[in-house]
Amino acid sequence: MFRTTALAASLGLIGTLAQADTLTFYTAGPGGLADALAEAFQAETGITVNVFQGTTGQVMARLEAEEANPQADVVVSASWGSAVDMHERGLLMEYFSPNAENVPDFLTHSHYVAQGISALAIAWNTQSGTPRPSEWTDLASADYRDLVTMPDPAQSGSAFDLIAGLETAMGEEAWKLLGALADNGMIVPGPNAAALNPVLQGAAAAVFGAVDYISYSRAAAGETVEVIVPESGTVIAPRPMFILESTTNADAAKAFVDFVLSDAGQALVAETWMMPARADVEGLRPGINDLNVIEVDEDAVSARRDEIIARFNETVTNR
Amino acid sequence: MLRAQSLLTTLAATALILLVGLPVLFILLQAVFPEFARGSFAGPFSKLVILTENDRLMMQARNTLLLAFSVMIGCLIFGLPIGILRGLFHVPGARVWDVVFLIPFLIPPFIAAIAWMMTLQPRGYLFQLLGFDMGRFLFSFAGVAFVMTLNLFPLVYFAVSRALEMVGGRFASAARVHGALPLQAFFLITLPLSIPAIAASLLIVFAMSIEEFGTPAALASRTGFEVLVTGIYTRLSDWPIDLSGAALGSVMLMAMVLAAFTLQNWIATRRSYISQTGKPADLEKADLGRWRWPVLGLFALVALIGVVIPLAAIAVTSFMGTISGGLSWSNLDLRHYEPIFQSGSRAWQALITSGWLAVLTAFATAAIGGLVAYIVVRGTGRGRSVMDGLSVLPNAIPAIVLAVGIILFWNSPYQPISLYGTAAILLVAYIGILLPYPIRYAVARLRQISGSLDDAARVAGAGQMQALRHVTLPLMAPSLIAAMMLVFAIASRELVASIMLAPAGMRTVGTFVFSQFEQGSVQTGMAMSMIAITITSGILLAVNLWLARQGSSAFSG
Repeated sequence: MFRTTALAASLGLIGTLAQADTLTFYTAGPGGLADALAEAFQAETGITVNVFQGTTGQVMARLEAEEANPQADVVVSASWGSAVDMHERGLLMEYFSPNAENVPDFLTHSHYVAQGISALAIAWNTQSGTPRPSEWTDLASADYRDLVTMPDPAQSGSAFDLIAGLETAMGEEAWKLLGALADNGMIVPGPNAAALNPVLQGAAAAVFGAVDYISYSRAAAGETVEVIVPESGTVIAPRPMFILESTTNADAAKAFVDFVLSDAGQALVAETWMMPARADVEGLRPGINDLNVIEVDEDAVSARRDEIIARFNETVTNR
Repeated sequence: MLRAQSLLTTLAATALILLVGLPVLFILLQAVFPEFARGSFAGPFSKLVILTENDRLMMQARNTLLLAFSVMIGCLIFGLPIGILRGLFHVPGARVWDVVFLIPFLIPPFIAAIAWMMTLQPRGYLFQLLGFDMGRFLFSFAGVAFVMTLNLFPLVYFAVSRALEMVGGRFASAARVHGALPLQAFFLITLPLSIPAIAASLLIVFAMSIEEFGTPAALASRTGFEVLVTGIYTRLSDWPIDLSGAALGSVMLMAMVLAAFTLQNWIATRRSYISQTGKPADLEKADLGRWRWPVLGLFALVALIGVVIPLAAIAVTSFMGTISGGLSWSNLDLRHYEPIFQSGSRAWQALITSGWLAVLTAFATAAIGGLVAYIVVRGTGRGRSVMDGLSVLPNAIPAIVLAVGIILFWNSPYQPISLYGTAAILLVAYIGILLPYPIRYAVARLRQISGSLDDAARVAGAGQMQALRHVTLPLMAPSLIAAMMLVFAIASRELVASIMLAPAGMRTVGTFVFSQFEQGSVQTGMAMSMIAITITSGILLAVNLWLARQGSSAFSG
């Protein structure tokens, strides 16, 4: 009993001490990036960064539950809409980093800025014995019968953005395409990783709407998967970074945002196979100017979220 | 003497209220007041409309119950026969089998689901080895029930074997003296006497099945199969987050489990199941004789399906250079273990964190659980059944919602001691989540022990505390130890509460594996699972063998 109390007390003490010169950073993936950023930042400034990494949903659920007594200083989410919403509720601190000058305008805001950018693509297993697809519509052909997966838009913000983007670009044709994919036996197994893994093992041949950097890094690890971005266009998913209004450590938080957008910070972002937010930092893969980006009206789309998901379920999942 | 009892009651009640009651209360408040997390009581009951406007809810509720009942039946099929054999006979290697059947608890459910998927899906390991796949079976209702059964059947095995050890063969012998045939004696006497234990374990199976999200989501969502917890997770997993909706969904699950709990309680208390009266009795188990090999064969078969296949799939995956490379010797690669074995790596920190958390949780839950069980069964106060019911709730609430409740309560600005943000909050959460195991096991056990043993001790001059310490506690010990091992196993890999509650910068085995699977490499996630399973099962085996060597004097009742 004594030991338990002593341990709890000492842990509590560590917790209290940690408040002094440390920063709390909540972030969605990619794995390893947050730790690399934290270590490099600490080496440069001496400020310790405590990292919590989860999925966007986990990060947001935690922020929401903590709202009466917020813990985080800096947050990166994988959903641009979450930053827009939190700003509207007055939860974000205004800050425009000097290092954000070279971030394209549409990826900056007075209260939040992109950390990096991913795009949605087809991830195709080159050993699957199927012809190489080049367009979204290819995956509805008989060659891919029962061999296509797609992340669930209800669980993957980026898959939702893709549907919204295709609807913007193609109108009703987008829904016809999704219907044809469903007729062709496309399965919707869950969030992004759940859609990619069957393709790696060969249970399926291609992901319709894979998050590109995850597939690129798997390919770099030797998996026989190729990332194909259709020329007809795709959507991008910029990852917003922001400081909470409730931070008690604003200077350190600003310094951290500056660091993430510095040459060194952006190089670490590039190493994850994402596109760096700054246009003047080279990525490991095709950049934003090499893609045909479908622009989506975020506000209009998020207002129709429930409707779009219901229609997707009707068209694909619960036919 | 009365002081001692009321002190114990106060202690147990305080622990239960702090660890379970208040977080649950805060969830209820969140369900009623959508703005509660922001410290506001505006718009009460405005979320209740989701209960009426959602047609899918009834379908989800039906599916939830159907799945839970299927899993309960599955657990009886897998767990009951081997539990009975283990309890009544000398099964060779009994202590080792106990550890083998703890292994399903060491495997996080979502990892087990992935392991089965990689084995049975088209072009999976089964196909690569034997040329056919069982994807159709796996990705269906039956597949979900099958995988969940394999995760949970040991609950029945442990409860039944411990209960029957205590009932022993002597009641059956008495029946046979009166002319009953062996099978008659078993079905009329021995099995009914262990009903409280079977019912208690099935209650936990029921509660865990309706709360489990990972397996149905991984295996059956593609066929449109939805359970209640699907909606709860969707509300908490994508923007915009809906805490109230999730809390409300959890209230429905709690209602279901409380109904099941009431039924279980009725079964367990409507008559006496006392088999431990203190009369000297021969507790020797029967020898299997010529049934030795068939029985061992049965144990091996259950172990093969429930333990060996999923474990082999995890091991094989962890040794593969690339997933797409498939099963071939040229694809054998140890590189995914490298990031784990670097000294001071995050993986090591995670192993150490989970290790001490699991040990502390096991001791704390056994202490609190034993106390609560003692008061529930032997106490006289009015709040006893409330305490009992409270203790089963954590199993009904999806861990992610309970974690939200814990944040709401412990991170409240009015909280004088803020444990939130420290590692202690994980301990608080683990104890709350895992308390049901020791309580259910110990309550069931105490219902078998006659209160006259206590009375005898008191007559002989022992104080109540002395009677508890020297008579009741040693008699409860086997159940508490079995429950501690379960708690240790589950705590060593707990995922969902850890993700929500671990202070920034801290990792556990569960969160490490999960983030590897989501964002890093599947193989490294599997490698970490393998290492954690090996270490944990090694510890459990050592403890078990040590107990065996201590002899049965202290622990066999």
